[in-house]
Amino acid sequence: MNTTRARLQRSTGIAATLALTLGLAACGGGDGDDTPGSADGVTVADIDAVLESDEEVTIEYWTWVPDIQDTVDLFEETYPHITVNVTNAGQSADQYTKLQNAVKAGSGAPDVAQIEYFALPQFALSEAVVPLSEVGLGDLEGEYAASAWDQVSVSGAQYGFPQDTGPMVMFYREDILADLGVEVPETWDDFVEVARAIKADNPDNYITSIDPGDAGGVDSLIWQAGGRPFSVDGTTVGVDFTDEGTQQWTELYDTLVQEELVDVTAGWNDAFWRSFADGKYAMWLTGAWAPGSIRNNIPTSEGLWRAAPMPTYEAGTPMNAENGGSAITVMQQSDKKAAALAFARWMTTSPEAVLSQSQAGLFPATTGIMEDPEFLGTEDPFFGNQKTNEVFVEASQSVSSGWQYLPFQVYANSVFGDTAGQALSNATPLADGLQTWQDEAVSYGAGQGFTMAD
Amino acid sequence: MSTEARTPAPVPTDNTTTPGDPPRTGGPRLSRRPPSSGRTRSSIPLTVVMVAMFVYVLLPLVWLTINATKTNGGLFSSFGLWFADDFALWDNLKALFTYQGSVYPRWLANTVLYAGVGGVGATILATLGGYGLAKYDFPGRRAAFAIVIGAMTVPMTALAVPTFLMFSELGLTNTVWAVLVPALASPFGLYLMYVYAQDSVPDSLLEAARLDGASELRTFLTVSLRLLSPGFVTVLLFSVVATWNNYFLPLIMLSDPKLYPLTVGLNQWNDQAGSSGQGEPVYNLVLTGSLVAIVPLVIVFLFLQRFWQSGLAAGSVKQ
Amino acid sequence: MTSPTKPQHAAPGAPAPEATQPPRRTARRSRYTRQDWAGAGFVAPFLAVFVFSIVAPLLYALYLSFFQDRLIGGSFFTGLANYTKALADPLLHAGLGRVLLFLAVQVPIMIGIALFAALAIDSGRLRGSGGFRIALFLPYAVPSVVAALMWGYIYGEDFGLVGQVFDLFGATPPALLSGTWMLASIGNIVTWSFMGYNMLILYSALRVIPTELYEAAEIDGAGALRTAWSIKLPALRPALLLTVIFSIIGSFQLFNEPNVLRSLAPTTITTYYTPNMYAYNLAFNGQQYNYSAAVAVIVGLITVLVAYAAQRVSNRAETGRKSK
Repeated sequence: MNTTRARLQRSTGIAATLALTLGLAACGGGDGDDTPGSADGVTVADIDAVLESDEEVTIEYWTWVPDIQDTVDLFEETYPHITVNVTNAGQSADQYTKLQNAVKAGSGAPDVAQIEYFALPQFALSEAVVPLSEVGLGDLEGEYAASAWDQVSVSGAQYGFPQDTGPMVMFYREDILADLGVEVPETWDDFVEVARAIKADNPDNYITSIDPGDAGGVDSLIWQAGGRPFSVDGTTVGVDFTDEGTQQWTELYDTLVQEELVDVTAGWNDAFWRSFADGKYAMWLTGAWAPGSIRNNIPTSEGLWRAAPMPTYEAGTPMNAENGGSAITVMQQSDKKAAALAFARWMTTSPEAVLSQSQAGLFPATTGIMEDPEFLGTEDPFFGNQKTNEVFVEASQSVSSGWQYLPFQVYANSVFGDTAGQALSNATPLADGLQTWQDEAVSYGAGQGFTMAD
Repeated sequence: MSTEARTPAPVPTDNTTTPGDPPRTGGPRLSRRPPSSGRTRSSIPLTVVMVAMFVYVLLPLVWLTINATKTNGGLFSSFGLWFADDFALWDNLKALFTYQGSVYPRWLANTVLYAGVGGVGATILATLGGYGLAKYDFPGRRAAFAIVIGAMTVPMTALAVPTFLMFSELGLTNTVWAVLVPALASPFGLYLMYVYAQDSVPDSLLEAARLDGASELRTFLTVSLRLLSPGFVTVLLFSVVATWNNYFLPLIMLSDPKLYPLTVGLNQWNDQAGSSGQGEPVYNLVLTGSLVAIVPLVIVFLFLQRFWQSGLAAGSVKQ
Repeated sequence: MTSPTKPQHAAPGAPAPEATQPPRRTARRSRYTRQDWAGAGFVAPFLAVFVFSIVAPLLYALYLSFFQDRLIGGSFFTGLANYTKALADPLLHAGLGRVLLFLAVQVPIMIGIALFAALAIDSGRLRGSGGFRIALFLPYAVPSVVAALMWGYIYGEDFGLVGQVFDLFGATPPALLSGTWMLASIGNIVTWSFMGYNMLILYSALRVIPTELYEAAEIDGAGALRTAWSIKLPALRPALLLTVIFSIIGSFQLFNEPNVLRSLAPTTITTYYTPNMYAYNLAFNGQQYNYSAAVAVIVGLITVLVAYAAQRVSNRAETGRKSK
């Protein structure tokens, strides 16, 4: 705790410096006479009071989580004086563009917004979101999974309430592996062998695919291999894809890509789902939120799927990473911060809210539910009545710490396909591809005034 | 061009250096000719080629219509040019109009609003402006005309980013004005109306009206407007289609889905199953929604086609 | 230009910078009457909107392009730095090269087909020509986003219509979404969308060729092809120029189609695939609004220059034809 506090103090200093420099540019107005970065002096007492009072208040909430309205309805039943307007302003990067535009324009942002962990540092840097410590909510650490709390932390301060996480899981088609008579791979070496077996059986089939446009997927795989390419300390930023963990991943995937054992192709489209439906892919390595997507897109595969821990580099040493996951954040532009914070806190800590969201397909970030025997014991018929939550919770607990995202990760991710993705598509050495990505990120960071560590 | 600036006198401009040649032929410009030269022997090879083009043009539309009848699962498990096992068009339509708190009908209404108000407004402004430029001389007229015509070649999408920044300084982003106001300015519409007014409104008529003591506005409303109506319909059609299909400007201007037009909304739905996997795939609704988005325009085309062709002819004969 | 009472004016077309200067009035002031000022009244509403939504953003883009805004350190004046950077930017060059290639290949094909269709429909040798005319024009009613979505589905190598049809015949489908084919695939979508539109402009121009010309040709015993060559084509020149200039502008603006197809081919379609995509991504993914403005200004200028060049070429051809 001591180190946390020290880091926190240091980060407040940095935040103040940042606020000063950014304040110069922030002439768009909308902040009124507040000093940039302050949370209007809102305290925990204010937040509690807004729930108790019966003063009518309406807040705007941007999210793209499907069926979130069900959870919001629960909130409105409990606190009828607070109305929450849910808006789907686009998925991920589309929404961030709009959010960034609103921040730039000085108005037009919602009160509450969903922001994925990878994008959070960017909004933290521009002081667009309220830090929890500033309103006395910095002590909620115990409520959330360690990996989730880690991911809302930027330079020691927390900038949002963890809503869900995506510990990496290996989803596989039990029928395909059984037909081939192969075991479920436990290590990456096993995985490569299974991939070769699948290929040998039918050269049109693959063990899985990798999306050369999806930076997040590759980030997660590097994280899982122990790589820590991004480092952030205030406005000093480092990008380095040559560390040992990253090399471990590039070696593995150079093999998989060059032997054409994984299909390098865009995900999330017509062809991607059809490939699963047709049995062209035997696995999907992705976040624990995937069951909902599988159910919606490939209903014909009911009962054929199973979940297993990610393959490891060293047998018997589980090491995991996160893929996706979001925080619920309160925007500094909001003039109803107390109500907004109260809502965001309720969404991520109240047991009924967490349960409702988990039923809607999110994998919760809250520790309470992860210890709930009912949650753990749920059998999923889509997965042949497997108790998938047990696998997911274990996956969550083995996530390794210390991963950081860049304060301009949204931009860096947008040029992934131009750089590292090219190496995937052309089956050239991944280390070279990552180097071009690194160069691009470093040059952008330097151009934006960050101090780039070498 | 600089040569013109040096010769302010009303001397006809030189045909060889400026593109504004007078019509090369006399006679009634817009008289409709009966289908060519009397002979009606139809050519088999020509027909074959045209039928091939017909198929090429309609194939994607047929594909869209067929696939709008499928469920999400059916889309991923059936042949593209034939129906899936379950015929889900009605379910899709019902879902389309109720999904996400019935946001699609709003998009449809927004699109009608943007295309209607923007299209009609742009046409009125272009008609007034084109008529004013064609039939009157006033200070700055030449400059105004040159700038407006020059603007036709400026890529509007390249303007979108600065327009966004300017509108955001003015607090206009994320309002209907951000889409409507730019839609009102149609340099091409003005140009078409300019050419059309030159040809179809004789100066003698205007002089006669003036001798009767009519004001200029009254003359316009009672005499000129009727003569301009085919051009008006043409410009209206093009403005409405342009606004109906506009994507880039509303994409960057609007953040509230309740203000989206169909194009932006449909693309958002298409991206919805995106990378972090929390989104719900609604490809079936995207396809059904695309089909529904096209139908009104096709109907407008079919109904108005008699009118707009003569108007278009005027613009295409000149440069 | 038919009436002697109406003064001559600058011809439409060349947006030369000189034309933006205020007109010379000194010698002419007395010529303007109240009636003339009424003309200004007719134009004023259009001009107001025009200045607000086109001229002002253009000037604002110019202004912005002289600054730089950093996430750390704020905004400061950089003079022409954004321009020198853009002119040497290999990503911008790549995008420009791509649209120029697109322009050189797709536009002639599309206009060629449109011309053929217009002549065919106008020839009187086609049964049901009205039906063809409407059908060919229909894709214009399809928003380009929707058109790109549809074709994206159709192109799929494995499960798209193309893949399924090739599969039926046991053939290997072309990878229409790969680097080799992508530009052609986009060209197909644009051709599909705008062929009918161009056809209609050309067809309309054909409809107003005076009947006497045809009668004269018929008396001369000219065949259909000769009539098309010596009467129809020359008469179509202005309309053709119009379609070419629109297509040039459209090519430089290319955005919707590649942007939609990007989700299918994220490494083939880079963020700088076309200059317009580059400007968009710089501004909205990278917050480099100022650099983006400089790129927009440069692309705008190039578009104007190319459109102007096309017009000059056309005029020269016309002059040559006349002087024969």
